[in-house]
Amino acid sequence: MENAENKDQEVKITITLPTNAYFISGIRDFTLNMVKSSTNFEEKWAYRFQSVIDELCNNAIEYGSAPGSDIRITFQYKKDDYLKISVEDTGTGKNKLNAAGLQKLFNERKTPGYAFTGIRGRGLVKIVGEWSDEIKFEDRPEGGLKISITKFMKDARKSEESLKNSAPQVQQKPATITI
Amino acid sequence: MTEVLITIEEASTPEKNIKIVHIGGQLDESNIDEKIKEIYALLEANPQNLNLIFDLENLEYMNSKSIGYLTDIYGKITEGGGEMVIAKARQNIADILQVVGLTQLIQSVESTEAAKTALSS
Repeated sequence: MENAENKDQEVKITITLPTNAYFISGIRDFTLNMVKSSTNFEEKWAYRFQSVIDELCNNAIEYGSAPGSDIRITFQYKKDDYLKISVEDTGTGKNKLNAAGLQKLFNERKTPGYAFTGIRGRGLVKIVGEWSDEIKFEDRPEGGLKISITKFMKDARKSEESLKNSAPQVQQKPATITI
Repeated sequence: MTEVLITIEEASTPEKNIKIVHIGGQLDESNIDEKIKEIYALLEANPQNLNLIFDLENLEYMNSKSIGYLTDIYGKITEGGGEMVIAKARQNIADILQVVGLTQLIQSVESTEAAKTALSS
């Protein structure tokens, strides 16, 4: 992991997995170990990112990708700077929402005093929203949704634009894993 | 399915009907809907004045849906005149319970003895 040891280098890892909750525990384990061993985030953040990825994947499985389809997870990080996680679905799920619809739902539930009454619905706002500095909902040109979150190690709420400007170009071929 | 083990221990006193629910492993999307039935069955068998202590010492992970179920169980228990306390949650579990606001609703303590005391007070 020579590249991962270079704190100024951006590392990108992409994982594609089938639409099945069975595989998510492996992704949680991977996230925990990757954050602990390859970034300088405090240990509590390794557990927090584990929850963030779990909620995003479950969201994609439930609402975005039909059984037999897949979801794509991308991690991008700089050891001492930030971690960005993106989860993409195929838009084939029966309860699918577009980016504007999900953003609206997110904003409604983020309103102070919003009462969560059901079993579901807390994950995206209370876990993903609280434990990230930026969250972005995008429609994929080929169909489906991409949800991206970024957490900065030091400068919370740093703008995405500054991230783009400060991040060096990825030097190595990104790692890609398909399950 | 991710591994999780739920066991229920009788801990009643002459004054209170107390059960300790020990949960170990990981509660996630692959198992929560099935496993939570064991606790709802306990609620059905004890609709009134049930006091539950959730011992989370061996719980490694829980997702937002598990927390939704805990909130629902808390509502049902308090409606029936009972109480609910969480005991021995690990740091990462305590962290997630706090971020969703559950610790504002349900008391979380460091031992089952402290939980029993909390139920008695």
